[in-house]
Amino acid sequence: MTGSETPAITCRNVWQVFGSNADSALKEALSRHETPEAAAQELRGKGLIPAVQDASFDVKEGELFVIMGLSGSGKSTLIRCISHLLHATGGEIRIDGENIVEASPKRLIELRRKKLGMVFQHFGLFPHMTVAENVAYPLRVQGVKKKQRLAKAQEVIELVGLGGREKNFPRELSGGQRQRVGIARSLVADCSVWFLDEPFSALDPLIRRQLQDEFLEIQAKLKTTIVFITHDINEALKLADRIAIMRDGKVVQIGTPADIVLRPVDDYVREFSKDVAKGQHAHVSSVMQPGEHHVYGADDPGLRQDMTLDAALARCMELYEPVPVRTDDGKLVGVVNPADLAAALQVEQG
Amino acid sequence: MAGLSKGSIAALIAAVVGALCLLLESSMPWLIKFPAAWVLPATDWVGAFMEWFLALIKPAARSFSALMFYPMEAANYVLSHTPWPLVICATTALAWTLGGVRMALMAVVGLGFVLASGYWPESMNTLALVAVSVPLALIIGGGIGILANEYPRVRQPVQAVLDIMQTVPTFAYLTPLLVLFGFGPVVGLIASAIYAAPPMARNVLLGLERVEPEIKEAAIMAGGTRLQQLFQCEIPSAGQQIMVGVNQCLMAALSMVIIAAVIGGFDDIGWEVLLTMRKAQFGQSLLAGLVIVIFAILIDRMSGTLTQDRRDQHDPRVAWGILALGVVVSAAFWGSVQQPGAYGLFNPVADSVDRGLSSFTSANAEALTALKNNVLFYVLLPMRIGLDQAVLPFTWGFAWTPMMSAALFAAGAAAGIVFALRGRMALGVMLLIAAGMLETGISQLPWPFVLVGAGALAWVAGGRGLAVLTVVLLGTILLSGLWERALLSLYLSGAAVFACALMGGAIGLASAVSPGVWRVVRPICDMLQTIPLFVFLIPVLMVFQIGEFSAFLAIIAYAIVPMIRYTRHGLVSTPDEMIEAATASGATTWQMLKDIRAPYAAPSILLGLNQTILYAFAMLVIAALIGTTGLGQSIYLALGQADVGLGISAGAAMAILALIADRMVQGFAEERRKALGL
Ligand SMILES: Nc1ncnc2c1ncn2[C@@H]1O[C@H](COP(=O)(O)OP(=O)(O)OP(=O)(O)O)[C@@H](O)[C@H]1O
Ligand SMILES: [Mg+2]
Repeated sequence: MTGSETPAITCRNVWQVFGSNADSALKEALSRHETPEAAAQELRGKGLIPAVQDASFDVKEGELFVIMGLSGSGKSTLIRCISHLLHATGGEIRIDGENIVEASPKRLIELRRKKLGMVFQHFGLFPHMTVAENVAYPLRVQGVKKKQRLAKAQEVIELVGLGGREKNFPRELSGGQRQRVGIARSLVADCSVWFLDEPFSALDPLIRRQLQDEFLEIQAKLKTTIVFITHDINEALKLADRIAIMRDGKVVQIGTPADIVLRPVDDYVREFSKDVAKGQHAHVSSVMQPGEHHVYGADDPGLRQDMTLDAALARCMELYEPVPVRTDDGKLVGVVNPADLAAALQVEQG
Repeated sequence: MAGLSKGSIAALIAAVVGALCLLLESSMPWLIKFPAAWVLPATDWVGAFMEWFLALIKPAARSFSALMFYPMEAANYVLSHTPWPLVICATTALAWTLGGVRMALMAVVGLGFVLASGYWPESMNTLALVAVSVPLALIIGGGIGILANEYPRVRQPVQAVLDIMQTVPTFAYLTPLLVLFGFGPVVGLIASAIYAAPPMARNVLLGLERVEPEIKEAAIMAGGTRLQQLFQCEIPSAGQQIMVGVNQCLMAALSMVIIAAVIGGFDDIGWEVLLTMRKAQFGQSLLAGLVIVIFAILIDRMSGTLTQDRRDQHDPRVAWGILALGVVVSAAFWGSVQQPGAYGLFNPVADSVDRGLSSFTSANAEALTALKNNVLFYVLLPMRIGLDQAVLPFTWGFAWTPMMSAALFAAGAAAGIVFALRGRMALGVMLLIAAGMLETGISQLPWPFVLVGAGALAWVAGGRGLAVLTVVLLGTILLSGLWERALLSLYLSGAAVFACALMGGAIGLASAVSPGVWRVVRPICDMLQTIPLFVFLIPVLMVFQIGEFSAFLAIIAYAIVPMIRYTRHGLVSTPDEMIEAATASGATTWQMLKDIRAPYAAPSILLGLNQTILYAFAMLVIAALIGTTGLGQSIYLALGQADVGLGISAGAAMAILALIADRMVQGFAEERRKALGL
């Protein structure tokens, strides 16, 4: 990928303000204040809700971009602005270089049919349609013949592993199955930009992990540009190419997973990564005492500055010989390899 | 004043104004009775305006009427010429498809009864009207609902208009329609379409609003056009709620078609009831009433299955079989199925009911009269004209003296002071006011007191806006010269609502406490709610003849149901955790009821009261047929004389009373809900 390529998604100073006369109020506030913070403050004072404030970022083609933040921080609002389910109050949003804030309703329908796909937090399945009909619906609105669209739907249903449930109604499925239907439906029209609003949040941890893995597989196959919302840091770290962190409508940090864990810009971001298994993301340099210190003994496990802590610990432990394990009265019952101890403590990289 | 609650202030103001009016009564009589000279001829103005307006749209209306004539004739022709075995089998087949064996049996038995009663042709005439008016109402109502959903700007006004239409009494529609369309079945048709459209519109709007936002968004993201989103996703998703609308629409249409028989001239089942009632053939009118009830139940239960979440599938082959059976029977007995009206199997029964009834009433004349007179003399009359006039030597055994008035006021004041000292100021003052009202009588309350009192109550219930609205609307009634009639209506419906609140509350409580009671009460409630208004008049009339007492009973019978239902619902739906917490703290059953369940149920009970008030107003107008005074009677008279001005004004006054009562009770319910954090 070259730097000159147009990004798949561009957001410039995007604002979404809820309340009456939001448009004029935002214009006025922006003209009166220098910083977006001050403008947002004024809007709040007037009883309006600035749900997204001055968001700017690019998403490259094929990138998996995760938006993360606490409940109510404006994630859903932002993704709805980008997919134009909400008309952004201010700013500019481009998809493949095309300004969609200004797109005509006709053009928007066309974009949604050809380019955009979306998965919803609570699935948003049509209760009166079967699984197959739900999945085929985006083709139906385009006027694709019934036989063709059902055949295409069948393919996607197989892809998400729901084969055999085509004739069921959504109410007859489990939560995980329902979300697979939602995913299949958003994929059926071959989108190139894929929005997912907390797709796995309503599911229990086991199903969630399973769907995450399948999601990564699908992503590897399709190579679409993805905007993915979650409030789960582990999910974000596992999936993301880059992560944007939101607080109270503002994007406070954008970076790679390692950036977020190792170089949080403030306490809010640090708080997120507190419970993260740092061993996977923190590097040796973060615990190293710099300078030429006295080195005891001659053992050198071969650590490098940019190794993760987990990897470094494993290397160190490999220096040890296996050690004995005894009962309370001193009888030998077995041996432990210290390297195995270190490995067992590590959270499985999943 | 700072230490007083809103309620106390309002009660004090009302009490002071009432006391002033009573004190100044002799020197300024205009305080009690609004002088006729001050009344604006508003009724005439409305009449003149409406005549002009109606004349304007008359040509359009007449051509519409001519247009409607064809589908109506067609429906009539089809229904009355289809051999009855085919009609019965077709209905049964439909019932099977909708609800299986039970529903099919119900259809066979029900229609069999209709056939045997000899009212088949009349029933088919009524059904033909329903068959044309319902699609009309569905299209109009559905259209309004969808449009209101599409254009958020019109949603509020539309909802307000629907609210008001719900409070306008049924007969009030009829007078202008009569002038517009002339006598004939078309009036009934249009009236029923107008009456049945709002529930459809309401439910469509409600259903569409309640579609999950994510479902709407999914339809958008799929790239559907607005029409595709609406018709492929939103409307089907709202299907269940829309079917509730269809059900209500059907019932309203049936009810109105029957009421429209009052304007007569059309050989349908409502007309039959009216005719036999006028001829005092109660056995026959009961029979005709039963036929109506059967249709109501069949239509309600069959369309009710559509609103259910998951329906069982029933073998369509059975339905086809039943239909084929109908065709075969019709063909085989072609000659003998042509005269479905000739059966009259129940005529002997009806006659013996008549005979039994007259022997019953004459045998129990004393007890019945005593019951009627006791209620009239000791309850209704004092409420209406006050103790000072109702207490007479020949009923009460003594005459009312000013001393007694003074004693009553003193007692009220004493009780008031006791409560006020115990910190329940508002309640105390209200007791005093109640004593005053009892002495004066509702129909003779001084108008300044009513205006101020209602305004104050509205202020407590819903704030300044509601208070202003209340005073202005009541002022309109005052100036239009309908004031006394309005007070009379208020008195009768007030008495009925009061009785409903007491009895319905008690029954609701009993049903909440004992499942056994509820098992008995519930089907009765279901039944009472399905019966068209009109039919309520028959039994009370049979036993108590024409008069205010019969009207009172009919209103209670109709309006008590919501009170029972909501009371029970409120009481039994207290969350389990709260019950468990109370049990764990050692509360007795009674304490639980008083301290936990009752406060929690209060909003629900208030909503029940609200429904009861609206039902009472609706029935009040119908009850005018069997003798009430007040607005209902005016509306009915206006209908007879085709007096549009009076009809519309009185209807509007009625709607105003209902609207104000509705808003106030809703206000209180809202406040209770907020207080509970619901
Ligand atoms: N239609 C609306 N009208 C008014 N305020 C809204 C609307 N939609 C969202 N908001 C407000 O905007 C803010 C951001 O909401 P948003 O739904 O984007 O949060 P979120 O980050 O997606 O939270 P969650 O994780 O709970 O889904 C919230 O304060 C919310 O109350
Ligand atoms: Mg959200």
